[in-house]
Amino acid sequence: MTRKQRRLILIGSSLGVLAIAVALVLGSLRESIVFFNSPTDIAENKTAPGKRVRLGGLVKTGSVERGDNLQIHFKVTDGNKDIPVNYRGIVPDLFREGQGVIAEGHIEPGGTFVADTVLAKHDENYMPREVVEALKKQGHWQETAAPNPARLRQSAK
Amino acid sequence: MIPELGHYALVLALALALIQSWSPAMGARKGDLALMKLADSTALAQFAFVAVAFAALTYCYVTSDFSVANVYENSHSQMPLIYKFTSVWGNHEGSMLLWVLILALFGALVAWFGVNLPATLKANVLAVQSWVASAFYLFILLTSNPFRRLAELPAEGRDLNPILQDFGLAVHPPMLYLGYVGFSMAFSFAVAALIEGHIDAAWARWVRPWTLLAWICLTLGIAMGSYWAYYELGWGGWWFWDPVENASLMPWLAGTALLHSAVVMEKRNSLKVWTILLAILTFSLSLIGTFLVRSGVLTSVHTFSNDPARGLFILVILMVFIGGSLALFAWRAPRLKQGGLFAPISRESALVFNNLFLATACATVFVGTLYPLLLEALTGDKISVGPPFFNLTFGPLFVPLLVAVPFGPLLAWKRGDLYGVAQRLLVACAVAMLGLATTFAFEGTKAVLAPFGIGLAFFVMAGAITDMVERIDLRSLSIETIGRRAAGLPRSAWGTTVAHFALGVTLLGIVCGTTWSSERIVALKPTQTVSLSGYDLSFDGMVTKEGSNYRETAAHFTVRTGGTVIGVMEPSKRVFPSRDGMSTTEAALLTRGVSQLYLSLGDSNADGSIALRLYYKPFVLLIWLGAVVMALGGALSLSDRRLRIGAPRPAARVMPQPAE
Amino acid sequence: MILWLIFGVMTLAAVFAVCWPLASRRKYVSSGTDVEVYRDQLDEIGRDESAGLIGSVEAEAARVEVSRRLIAAAESAKSASAAPAPSAAGSYRWATLMAAVLVLPLGASIIYLSLGSPNFVPVTMNAARDGSALPAGIEKTVAEVEAYLKNNPANGRGWEVLAPVYLRLGRFDDAVEARRKALELLGPNAARLGDLGEAIVLASNGVVTPEAKSLFERASATDANDVMAEYYLGLSAKQEGRRDEALKRWTALVSKAREGAPWLPLVKNALARIDDKAPTFAAPPSKAAIAQPSAGVTGPAGTSAPAVMTAPPGPNASQVAAAAQMAPAERNEMIEGMVSRLAQRMAENGSDVDGWLRLIRAYSVLGEREKALSAAANARAALAGNDDNLRRIGELAKELGLEG
Repeated sequence: MTRKQRRLILIGSSLGVLAIAVALVLGSLRESIVFFNSPTDIAENKTAPGKRVRLGGLVKTGSVERGDNLQIHFKVTDGNKDIPVNYRGIVPDLFREGQGVIAEGHIEPGGTFVADTVLAKHDENYMPREVVEALKKQGHWQETAAPNPARLRQSAK
Repeated sequence: MIPELGHYALVLALALALIQSWSPAMGARKGDLALMKLADSTALAQFAFVAVAFAALTYCYVTSDFSVANVYENSHSQMPLIYKFTSVWGNHEGSMLLWVLILALFGALVAWFGVNLPATLKANVLAVQSWVASAFYLFILLTSNPFRRLAELPAEGRDLNPILQDFGLAVHPPMLYLGYVGFSMAFSFAVAALIEGHIDAAWARWVRPWTLLAWICLTLGIAMGSYWAYYELGWGGWWFWDPVENASLMPWLAGTALLHSAVVMEKRNSLKVWTILLAILTFSLSLIGTFLVRSGVLTSVHTFSNDPARGLFILVILMVFIGGSLALFAWRAPRLKQGGLFAPISRESALVFNNLFLATACATVFVGTLYPLLLEALTGDKISVGPPFFNLTFGPLFVPLLVAVPFGPLLAWKRGDLYGVAQRLLVACAVAMLGLATTFAFEGTKAVLAPFGIGLAFFVMAGAITDMVERIDLRSLSIETIGRRAAGLPRSAWGTTVAHFALGVTLLGIVCGTTWSSERIVALKPTQTVSLSGYDLSFDGMVTKEGSNYRETAAHFTVRTGGTVIGVMEPSKRVFPSRDGMSTTEAALLTRGVSQLYLSLGDSNADGSIALRLYYKPFVLLIWLGAVVMALGGALSLSDRRLRIGAPRPAARVMPQPAE
Repeated sequence: MILWLIFGVMTLAAVFAVCWPLASRRKYVSSGTDVEVYRDQLDEIGRDESAGLIGSVEAEAARVEVSRRLIAAAESAKSASAAPAPSAAGSYRWATLMAAVLVLPLGASIIYLSLGSPNFVPVTMNAARDGSALPAGIEKTVAEVEAYLKNNPANGRGWEVLAPVYLRLGRFDDAVEARRKALELLGPNAARLGDLGEAIVLASNGVVTPEAKSLFERASATDANDVMAEYYLGLSAKQEGRRDEALKRWTALVSKAREGAPWLPLVKNALARIDDKAPTFAAPPSKAAIAQPSAGVTGPAGTSAPAVMTAPPGPNASQVAAAAQMAPAERNEMIEGMVSRLAQRMAENGSDVDGWLRLIRAYSVLGEREKALSAAANARAALAGNDDNLRRIGELAKELGLEG
């Protein structure tokens, strides 16, 4: 075989692998993309029931109810619309009322969101980016003002 | 005063880096040795100054000097000493300082140990290294000053994010950064070679050990991060295809490819252009990883702060270095001399095959990670690409690669005999079939893919040792012969065997862990018992403990199997008063061989019961054990004398020499 | 001074690192060409072979390969000898030298002076406060009382009097001990239980420890209307992540309070910051208010301790209130000091948007609307041209009701 033929084989097989990869990427991308929605988006029927979506917003204060068998119900709000969410399982450490949350699951025809995953933040200062943007859109987000004047050290230690 | 000294040291490091990025390169151009030698002393001085800066910040943390904003925001006077050390890099500013410290360390190592490097190559490498360093010093000084002082002195710090208060923080980031930044060596050598317009013997001789070192650190760093997420996040998962994890996986995949193509280049003087390109790409992916994690375009536990100015700055660094080096590559690469020829069936081809699949797999991860960002930038739609995408694309691409792994080392250089190799792998094949059949017999068609996964894992493991079994003449059954032969084999050969075997081990862990993992989520009251996979866990009650800067509520469990007590488990929740009651979940792990029982706590309910998440994860430890052994294989290879002297293996004696 | 000296030494070291290789008269040997590398490899093979690290067969094979490459390298080196011979590039050397001697120190100073804080002096408020507010000779008085108590350790009143002074001096651990003794000797009541709890909280950097919490619970059980216990139980709840409980307790305190109760602003402040992410444990009510000695014990006028010994006022439930009464004045003084420093800083350097936000907010909290408005105006002027920052100022102004 000449150098040229060898190179052709090499290039040919590379292109083959790439083609397979592109096919795989396109095929699975269609199935595994999950869109992010705010409660307003969902309330305005932008999302078909049964379709897998992510819902982000704040856990509405006073809305968390715990049922039997680790059932938990709460409402996710963006200040404009509330969406009731059902979830069974253990919520993350930082899942709290009034704090940001992302729930992944689908919408039942009745308008209830059934979540199979609930994500909260990792740090009490952190708010999921998507949630911030969804809240900003509704005008309920204010840039956290600068921290209070750092307190004085009053101990002589 | 100490923080000011650290800050000024950083400024001086920048000044030195700027001189070092210009003068030695000019010296190399003009053939002025003094100017070239300048890089040695500036590289060492740069390292000394960055070390001073790092030590200054560490001092502030250890002495809890809360007048330094960075310390105030991330430390607490009551925190255990080890976390005071680790929280130095448990935040954005400090971690960037660690980044440049490692970069300067590598520069200093080249200056110190690179006695044998051709003077021009060394000068150019150090100059390129300094370009990167200058950019990052500027980044730190302009956007992320770790030594910023507070106008008013706070009484107490705000504590480190409790999730990071773990031994994992002591190991994971430094290892990962050693890996990321270690690839900058390959990058600097590649760019220097492009500038010089030729690749000489010293190039291959130097690049491979550096790449190997970086690869070892990155492997350990990723494994450590994965285990940390497994036990700290309380979900029992060990890989989430989180963009930040992907950011570390991409350089690893490219680095693994680089490692293999560098072998071809070193032994056969072939694939030069491709190796150079891979070196550039690997470090570019490391930079992209840094960008993704540091810029705040992604949010995760790794994203310490979201500051658009920082993101923009890193993006500019990224474009300049990646764009610049790729442009240089396009311009200069055609001048590089082509290397030796090889047949489609040969060791070289096997390594090309490896590179092809690794690079493609890396590309799919790249697409999956960046597609959401791209789509958001273009259409404003926010999406996430979940694990199914990666499983569906990454998996199918890795299978042929794994099948090919045992073939590679058995094929001869230049022109191989596939049929012969297949014959030698018959035993390995039989082992694989046995594994497949056994799994199938036990599981039936419940888990369709599991038998194949296990068969493949056995094939990789058995295939890896096939070569060794023959070469040390294991069947001679004479310990003396075996010992003599084993000692006589080059360590790099052992390294290959060990690393490939470990790959099979990790695969086995992944397949078993995902297929037979069982999970129960229950609410339990004291004295009640829960059973899973033959283990009975009885809930004895709650215990409260007082930690140094947290309060711990633990549930005490006695674990029995068949009536015999085999241990206790105490999963807990820690509440950090200094963080206004932020809590972390500390999972309890009970190790049985290489399997683990995993228990983590949820919320306590009004009726006195407590929510529990219980997993049985068979063979799960193999995943990380495999990774550690893989790194060990790399270390064996690194310690090989031949690798360091750059001489070929004796195999060259048997094979016909190519005409060069 | 020392700082500048060290800066100088460091700069010299950096300049030296550049100049030394240039100035060195040592003749550099052009090492490390390909030929050198291969020669070196041959030597290493020989060394390894004699050290038994590689077998003789392998060594021979390696030697053959390396020699082959060596010859090729030597050939190409010969043909490449037309390349520029090593020479001293004079102008570049000069440029480098200039960069090292002039540009480096100058540039480093400029960069550092514009980014760093070389004149930083930690604000040691404590020294200032203690020096001015505490009567002169207080240390001596304390020592006298300590000596007295050493001989009469059973004097519960003595301990009780000493404790607030300790707190004032920042000797929290001593205060805890003193209050523990007082509690032991004089028997528990709501105030003593609460006092000890508070001293413990202060000694553990503001964290309501389980011990302190149980003390407050006992105090609360003794006197359900004990303000201090209620306040700290709320703080404890907040620190343990039970925000709602904290909210409930503090709200109840506020609603029960008679109009103008001196501690009311403190609790209201705590309530306002219930979702504040900054740590609460250094909260003013605890330290500024309660770390005050009881009125009449060692007031700013400087009553001498022995006189107090004869007729110490028994601490009672009103102590908290009494202490709090003094607190606002001192607290305001403190806050105003901070704010005026901040204002001064912003007047000197107006580019720090966070500083402006802090200043405007501070004025607004202090009720100085006019100043807040003028600060907002100044901020807008200073930040003109940066839309993002202007927007943040505008948003804050809106939030604080400074507009429309």
